Parts: sequence; C-alpha cells; structure tokens
Amino acid sequence: MKCDKFIEALGQRVKILEVTRQYEDQVTALVELNDLPEAVRFLYYDMGGYLSTMIPNDERSINKHYALYYALSMEGGKMFEGDEIAQDEKCFVTVKVLISPESLVFPSVTPLVPACVWYEREAYDMFGLIAEGLPDKRRLVLSDDWPDNLFPLRKDAMDYRYRPDMKEHYMEPEYDFLRPEGSGIIDVPLGPLHITADEPGHFRLYCDGDTIIDADYRLFYQHRGMEKLAENRMNYDQMGYLAERVCGICGYAHAIACIEAAEKAINLEIPARAQAIRIVCSEIERLHSHLLNIGLACEVTGNYNAFMHIFRIREYSMKLAELVTGGRKTYGNVVMGGLRRDMTGQEIKESLRILHIIETQVEEVWDAVMDDQRQMKRWKGVGILDKQVARDFSPVGPNIRGSGIKRDTRYDHPYDFFKQVKFDVAVVEGGDVFAREMVRYMELKSSVSIIRQCFELMPQTAIIVDPKFHVKPENYSLAYVEAPRGENVHWIMQGSAQKVYRWRCRAATYNNWPSLRFQFRGNTIADAALIVCSLDPCYSCTERVTVVDVRSKKSKILTHNDLKAFSQTLKNSPMKDLK
Amino acid sequence: MMKLLDISKKYGEITHKYPFEPYKVAENFRGKPAYVYDLCIGCAACGVACPSNAITVQFNENKSKLVWEFDCGRCIFCGRCDEVCPTGAIKLSEEFELAVKFDKSAMIQRGELEVQCCSECGKPFSAKRLVKYSLECLSKANLGEKRLEEAKSYVSVCPTCKKTATVANFTAGKEMVIE
Repeated sequence: MKCDKFIEALGQRVKILEVTRQYEDQVTALVELNDLPEAVRFLYYDMGGYLSTMIPNDERSINKHYALYYALSMEGGKMFEGDEIAQDEKCFVTVKVLISPESLVFPSVTPLVPACVWYEREAYDMFGLIAEGLPDKRRLVLSDDWPDNLFPLRKDAMDYRYRPDMKEHYMEPEYDFLRPEGSGIIDVPLGPLHITADEPGHFRLYCDGDTIIDADYRLFYQHRGMEKLAENRMNYDQMGYLAERVCGICGYAHAIACIEAAEKAINLEIPARAQAIRIVCSEIERLHSHLLNIGLACEVTGNYNAFMHIFRIREYSMKLAELVTGGRKTYGNVVMGGLRRDMTGQEIKESLRILHIIETQVEEVWDAVMDDQRQMKRWKGVGILDKQVARDFSPVGPNIRGSGIKRDTRYDHPYDFFKQVKFDVAVVEGGDVFAREMVRYMELKSSVSIIRQCFELMPQTAIIVDPKFHVKPENYSLAYVEAPRGENVHWIMQGSAQKVYRWRCRAATYNNWPSLRFQFRGNTIADAALIVCSLDPCYSCTERVTVVDVRSKKSKILTHNDLKAFSQTLKNSPMKDLK
Repeated sequence: MMKLLDISKKYGEITHKYPFEPYKVAENFRGKPAYVYDLCIGCAACGVACPSNAITVQFNENKSKLVWEFDCGRCIFCGRCDEVCPTGAIKLSEEFELAVKFDKSAMIQRGELEVQCCSECGKPFSAKRLVKYSLECLSKANLGEKRLEEAKSYVSVCPTCKKTATVANFTAGKEMVIE
C-alpha cells in the first residue's frame, strides 16, 4: 500500500505509537510529543515532504487531549532533476501528537522546519497551545485587543456569535513589528489597504533609501471565524456553500475541497461525469483568476492599456462560467455525492466557442505585453523567491512553480478526473515576478486544453450518487484541490448528527505569505506593491498576513554606510557571505 | 506598446451600454428567486432546504397566519428552493439588480397563508393550502373511496393529536383497519 514506506522509515527514527489509514493515500502516525520536531523534520527534509497543513484540534471530548496533526505531502524535495518520489508512491503522511490539557505545551517544529511558523502561531491564538521554542510568539489571527484567555476554537470557549468588547483605539495594544536593527532605517507603511487588490493587509517596509531591507506584515483584519461558524452547527449541505464563500476569486476550489474532504472521510466515490464537471468548473475559475492577476500585474506597473485588454478577455471567462453554472462567480453546484447541475450539449458547444475566443485573444495580448520592453523591465528580476527559501517554507501554486519547483497538486496527487487528463505542469526558472506571470500564462493555455479534454472524455453517467451514506463520527480526512493560487487543503473531522466536528480550511495564500518577506528584500519601494500582487494574494481567504519567520535563514542587514562603501569601491560584496 | 494599440483598433469599442440598455444574462442564470403567492402551499420545503436561512416559514405571533418570508439580503442564489418546491411557487429569475436605497426592509418579501386548525384540538398546525394539496394528491393516487374518506378526516388532524390517537388506539387494543 501507499505510504507504508514512509511509515516504516519514520518508525526507525522515532517511536510510532499508532498508525491509522484514512484514505488510500492518507495515513496518520501518532508519535510521542517529544519526538514531534524530529518526526516532522525527518519527513520534510529527509524523505522529501512539503507541509500541506497543520491542524490543532480540541479532542477533549474524544480522548481527553488536544491534538496536533502535521499533514505532509510526500512528493520529493524537487530541488534538482530526479529529486522526486515515484508517481505511484506520492501520498500524505500526517504526524499526530496528543497534548495534555494541563500543560498545553508542545515542542515547536519551526526551528527545524520554518514552514510551520504560522501554523504554530495560530495554534496559540485559537487553542492556547504554546509552542515551546517558537521564535515568534506574536498573535497571528486574532486582533491585538482580543482577551488574553479566550481561545475561540476550544469547544467550551464561546458561542460563535459572541464578540468580546473592543478596546478604544487609543487603548489598543501596539502590534510589535519585527524591526531590523541599525541606523538610518526608515519605516514605510504600505496598507492597510493594498493598492490594487483593494484588500486589507498592513505591510511595514524597512528601507534604506529606496531599497527595502526587510519587511514585516500584519494581516487577518478580516478574520471571519468561518471554522467556528461551521463546527457542530452546519450540515454538509450548507458547508459547501459556506466554503465557496471563503474566497472571492477561487471559492469554487474551496467548495470542492471541503466537500471532497467529507466524501473521503466516508470513502464515497462520485460518478465520473460529476468529477469531470468539477474539473471543468475549477479550470474555468483558473482562467478568470489568472487573467485577473496578469491584468493587475500590468495595472500596478501603470500599464493600463494591457490591463484593460486582459480584463476584456476575462469577461469571456465570466460569461463562460455564467453559461455552464448560472452564476458568474459562485457556481454553487457542489453537493456531497456529486453535483446538482449537469451540462447540456448546447452549453458544451457554446463553451467550446468561447474557449476558442479566450485562447486566441490571450495569445495576442500576451505577445503584445511581452513585446513591451518597459513592462518586461518592471517584471524581470523583481521579487525573487529563492529556491531554497521556497523549499523551506512550502509555498504553493505559481509562486513556487516560478522558482523552478515542479509542485502542482493536479500532478502530484491527481484528484477527480485528473487521472485521465493529460497536461504539462508549468514550471519556469527565475523566481521573479516575470516567472510567476509566465507560469500563469502557461496555465491559462493548459486550462483551456484540460477543459476541452474533459468535454471529450466525460462519460454519460449520472452526476450524483444516491446519497445513502451516513457519516461516521471522529473520521477525518484531507482533501486537496489546486486552486489558481495553489493548493487548497481542507481537513474535516466528522461529528455526530451529520455535522462537522472540526473543519480546517487552509487557503493557498496562507502558505505563500511567510516567504514574502524574503521576496521583498533588496527591492525598491516602487516594486513592493507589484511583489505582493505577483503572489496573487487572497487576503480574505487567508484571513486566515504578517511575514513570519525570525531570521531562521541567513539574512543580513546592510547599513547605509555599508552600502555606500560597497557602491563606491565595489569591494567586499555584502552578498558574499550570504551564499 | 504599439501592438496593444493595434489590438485596441481591431476590437473597437466593447463597453456595454448598461444601464442605458438592458443587460442580457445567460439562459439559466441564477438570479433573485421569484415567488408566486398563488402557488405557494406553505409546505416549508424551501425553508428547510435553504442553506443560508434566507427563507423562513413560521406562524406569526398570534398564530393566525402562516408566514412565508424571504430575505434577499441573506440569499446566496444557490437555487435549492427552486429544486425542492413541489408546486413551482418559487423559481430563480433573471433579476440581478437588487440594490435598495437605505431601507433594507425593502429586501424582505412576505406571503401570509391561511392556517389550518386541527379538527381535534383546534390548534393551528399547517396551512389550509397544504392540506388541500395533500388531498388533491391523494385523490389522484387511485385510492379506494372509503380510504379517501378516512384520509380526509386524517389530514386535518395535527401531528400531536395523531400521536395521542395512535397511542390510545394501541393501548385500547384496537387495530387500524386499512382495506
């Protein structure tokens, strides 16, 4: 069976107390609390894993403990050619630990695996679980004036409607930004509203002259408490719609991920036609999302002409969605067991016509943009995400594929109809804004081809299975969908009475934010907005941003004098000892 | 740069004249649910199906009317109500212009239905139209004359009285005869 190899290897490292299988490609290994950092590090670096999500859970009513689940996607480090696990061995391995409610302390994994930093900060905010050894213990999700001893996701903490009293703004505690030391550093605030995305997030840029030397950010101004809202209250019928509203752009990917997590937990196979239509709709969503981002990347550099053209084409993709689902943005057709709405032959015919328009016109405009030297100069060499930083922080989507790492959930863990569809994973070396936009352009083309293949290959079956299933309490499972921004991972533990016990929704951008800080460094203030934009950040769905890690990797702060001396003499390159 | 201008020339003006011209939506567009009062039987299937609780069906304060209420501000346009409605009283329309000026109560739509009182205890338990609808369905269901007569008296009894009656019958040793 899949995963056994990894469990065996892990067993030789640390003592495994219990192994449980959730799905054919998902296993959970319970380890002792003190072995947690080593177990996660071993799977992450030695066995080639990427951190998909981490779920803290209040299981006091089940086993009198809190639990942490570190879900790792085992796919190989992918740092060089051949550094990849065989296709049929790729799987998810979850490391589980139990924490006693008396101590509430667990050893932090962050010093060994930087990718965990946000997750561990959130574990404190939501559950009061303290990561011992975590370098950055500031709040992440909740506001600074949130009461100290109220941990919202604990089952006994509060009603989902409860809102603690706000403090007067002058009484509100200051958020402690990580400010680099040294003289001559100027703070430049960017936000609380991003200039193109029109979404809230505060970035504090530390600049020496025009150059950003470091950055810190505070996000989650829009935390809506959706996980709390759904727990023990909503049924699966309602949750699909709630999940679709996690994000304003890639909501459909959340809807499928959420429903598929629930389906996987009970091993429910959906009909092939429903699988194909789910893929078609999610690829339509990718079309409009990538067009939006390429457009904004032009807009933020002042190229309004290209922006308008790209949005003109984007309108076709919105029309396409309206045609096949009845809604421009919320498709609302996912239910447990399949889909609610089929596609007619007429709709497919019309869709193929629109796809042809999108394909030819995108090519035309992209050629024109590539021809524009001024535009290229703004994109190339800006906001570089180093390959090693990418490896350490597990970013997802075009962000990591632009750094030359071939990570794509559709390819690594083919779900639904992707087992039958052929496509090339778009990978571009360079790690700059240009590389990321190039990935998006290539994906636009592959999306069009995926949709066409689905139309050709989808069989004439029913679109929904007879919903004669019942949910087993305490079963849990992961579901993963490659949203336009990267992999969305939903984790559901089922509760009694067809309700969900714990729902962890991890949006793609959540994994992309922590490495943003490294992307800022060395760029000019004028490019800051572009760098944020090239991540294709989705604030509201992450709100589930503050760059996180505290210099766990090498970094160096140059003072004005250092820089001046180097500029004048070109000797003693400050970058020398960073390599 | 020049290439982009060429493209602009090629495609010309594409801006839609909306709102000066009507905007045509796709055939199966999911717009605001349109309610037809005359068809509504007050079965509350839509209220149960509605994931966002935009539709509620409940008695008013003095239980004189069964009130069907739809709050468009809560609606997510999923179309579950359309799917479950047995009489087609609620259907998604093509309407997408939903803005109201200052007054949010303008988004609420109500329908008040006559209540059916229980023939045993006299308390209201359902809508008259629902009872009528049930009988109509039964009369088309090819039942015997006598059975239909029984059903007639049976449908106008509230669930609580039915339970008590069943328990009373059981304990008295009577069996219900169905021919």
